[in-house]
Amino acid sequence: MKPAAAPSIQEILEPILLRYGGRPDLLLQILIAVQKKLSCVPPAAIAALAERLAIPLVRVQGVVSFYAFLSTEFQGDYAIYLSDNITDQMLGSRELAAHLCGKLGVSLGQVRADGRVSVRFTSCTGMCDQGPAGLINFRPVTRLTRDRMERIADLVNARVPMEDWPGELFQVETAMRRSDVVFRRPLKPGEGLRASLERGGEILSTWAEDLAPSDARKHHLERGGAETLKEIYKSGLRGRGGAGFKTGIKWQSVRGASDPERYVLCNADEGEPGTFKDRVLLTDYADMVFEGMTICGHAVGARKGILYVRQEYAYLEEHLEGVLARRREAGLLGENILDSALDFDIGIHFGAGAYICGMESAMIKSIEGRRGIPRQRWPLPVHHGYRRKPTVVNNVETFAAAAVISARGGEWYARNGTAESSGTKLFCVSGDCERPGIYEYPWGVTVREVLRDCGALEAQGVQVGGPSGTLINAGDFDREISFEDLSSVGTMMVFAKQRDLFDAVRNYAQFFRHESCGLCTSCRIGTTLLANYVEKFAKGYGSPVDLEEMQGIGQIMKTMSHCGLGQTASLHISDSIAKFPSIWAGRMRTTEFIPAFDLDGALAEARSLTGRTDADAHLPHPVPQEA
Amino acid sequence: MTNAFHLDGLEVPFQEGQTILQAALAAGRYIPHLCWHPDLGPHGSCRLCTVVISGRPFSSCTQPAMKGQAVACRTPELNGMRKAIMQMLFVEGNHHCPSCEKSGNCRLQATAYDLGMQDSHFPHQFPKRERDMSHPDVFLDRDRCIRCERCVRASRIYDGKDVFGVHGRGMHSTLAVNSPSGLLADSQIAPEDRSIQACPTGALMAKRVGFVVPIGERVYDREPISVLELRKYAAEEVHHG
Repeated sequence: MKPAAAPSIQEILEPILLRYGGRPDLLLQILIAVQKKLSCVPPAAIAALAERLAIPLVRVQGVVSFYAFLSTEFQGDYAIYLSDNITDQMLGSRELAAHLCGKLGVSLGQVRADGRVSVRFTSCTGMCDQGPAGLINFRPVTRLTRDRMERIADLVNARVPMEDWPGELFQVETAMRRSDVVFRRPLKPGEGLRASLERGGEILSTWAEDLAPSDARKHHLERGGAETLKEIYKSGLRGRGGAGFKTGIKWQSVRGASDPERYVLCNADEGEPGTFKDRVLLTDYADMVFEGMTICGHAVGARKGILYVRQEYAYLEEHLEGVLARRREAGLLGENILDSALDFDIGIHFGAGAYICGMESAMIKSIEGRRGIPRQRWPLPVHHGYRRKPTVVNNVETFAAAAVISARGGEWYARNGTAESSGTKLFCVSGDCERPGIYEYPWGVTVREVLRDCGALEAQGVQVGGPSGTLINAGDFDREISFEDLSSVGTMMVFAKQRDLFDAVRNYAQFFRHESCGLCTSCRIGTTLLANYVEKFAKGYGSPVDLEEMQGIGQIMKTMSHCGLGQTASLHISDSIAKFPSIWAGRMRTTEFIPAFDLDGALAEARSLTGRTDADAHLPHPVPQEA
Repeated sequence: MTNAFHLDGLEVPFQEGQTILQAALAAGRYIPHLCWHPDLGPHGSCRLCTVVISGRPFSSCTQPAMKGQAVACRTPELNGMRKAIMQMLFVEGNHHCPSCEKSGNCRLQATAYDLGMQDSHFPHQFPKRERDMSHPDVFLDRDRCIRCERCVRASRIYDGKDVFGVHGRGMHSTLAVNSPSGLLADSQIAPEDRSIQACPTGALMAKRVGFVVPIGERVYDREPISVLELRKYAAEEVHHG
């Protein structure tokens, strides 16, 4: 029998284009589908898509080259990405990666000669409570061990199709270690939405004298939305994505917009290393999240919502679509929700590996199918967001909280937490502790309480809020997590006494260098300069002058950068210099300045050209060696 | 009553819809900038025009002017950071002014002089990006590109061609050419395009005209960019009525 000819690019693209209606604004979703189908987006596909979607070629290439999970070069039948967060490293991920590469006979970052497999590192995959973790053909693998790596290598070498791999490799745990007032009694589907709609009151018979029946229903809807917005205000809810903006004010801005076309976007691009609460919410409490979005639609008068999920969580797609389908069937989504005049539906978009897309304006660009570059600050998304329409962008956890507030009331919610930080917060605890995982606490809990509950008795420091947050030492353990004191997206990476925190700082510096979008000068160049200085210390060439330089660069990045990424990308440097000076001092072998330029290294080419290997062809080492 | 804000203590009038940078320039007050161009609008990427309002930094090219605002601009601290931004741009690329065709006509060089930059301070990165000499009349030296995207915008808005885009991200982002081969020779570019004029460095230039005007007699050889810009802007204001 003649082997079937490989399908042409056109044959591969057609069904994908059909699925996405040939919409140019869905370019990113289309590219992701191509990547998953071919393990790359070949230049021929890029050219074909540019033509079919009428997008300049350079722009399609620009999108492919922006996202870490898209590539023009073939990534192998099995594309393996290993999470490179510091918590993975502390669990031995680097050694395990070497072991896996050895078993597969592949070099890190390369595709094996037969095209079977590639192994790469990637930024944190959001499995820090069950690392070391990774992704194989975009399915998460957790709790990696030498044994698991060997099994994976065997499966790859035997070319076993992914669907026949043992399910235990892909098991992801989501149990909450501690729940408080919100998650002790999670909502039933429809509970918050029903309350929101009921706030419209009875459709009074007296209205009928003045209003047509359809107008009376609209009036009822309007009134309910306004009342729910009041509850959000009363609750004091602030955004859970990090910035802590008052949710009520944000929703009010969109509700008050003159343009009737409005959008509700849910940010599930949970890229902050060490953070995984949104994964747990989308897995076990997706109804609450979708319900919060729908309630927002009711309150602000939007008819369409989009959930933007990072690629690392794309394995949840089937589950999330299932929840949406169930909600549509139950009358909780779609037209005339719960027999009211409310129409609202939700679609799902995926990212493709870019931390910057967690920044709301970058996320909007990404949803529009473009490079995830943050927009200018003005006009704000509430006035000029998705499709240049008034748009609410909130975090997954914020929407879940909004659903609870609608169901149980703003006052009830505000009874928990502190004056400026009402309610409860999910904490993602990882690193050196006995019980990593998700913990719900009222805002205002001290670091010490969390450390006690998670079994971190020997902690020397905690990275609060991820690499863009605050690094604290034991002197700060009595501080409270709140917008008034230690503000946090909820992340706590714990470092025990025996750890060298320099490894964490180095990991963060490399992370920011990798994730800077490149738009603005201070972040693009600053992150690289900082990472290079950290490497200089790693090699033992650091000096006090370099510490001053790093702090100066950090200050410039903080003041001059365009968005939150650049403004916070140097904090780990200044925090570690202030709180853990010994990790730097211990790497300085002199108080004199040593140039980063390696004069002897620069002579390597000359040596190889002249065939010299003798000692006289080398310069003395610049660092005074200790006796 | 006219709308006005305070720039370093002095009143600056503005019209509704103007940014701080536009209003300042119209009032004869220079704020350093590279990626902004009066005809191309703001980009917010170079960060030189950063000002501080109520303790918070904003890029003045994107920030709308608001009545009564107190805007700090030419403070020693901000000027120092602007100089550092210039130094960062210089070490990121390969900017060898003495051997560059653009010297004296170069906004990057002129702005560096204007900010008192005398050395590059930070360690040089020595990039090796691809040069594009394929076109008979135009060349692109990516090592001189500062990713201001003025050419990207000018090509789209004025030339109607979309010749340029940006690829990659972070320090690996590069200027890309819209053509099947990725080369200028296969693109629609022409030496008279606005995109070429828009380049503030020697990255994108027409060939064979680099030394038509001798070094020493070029635009910014004669007077500082801060002085020249204001005069040019005042003339345009008069022209536009």
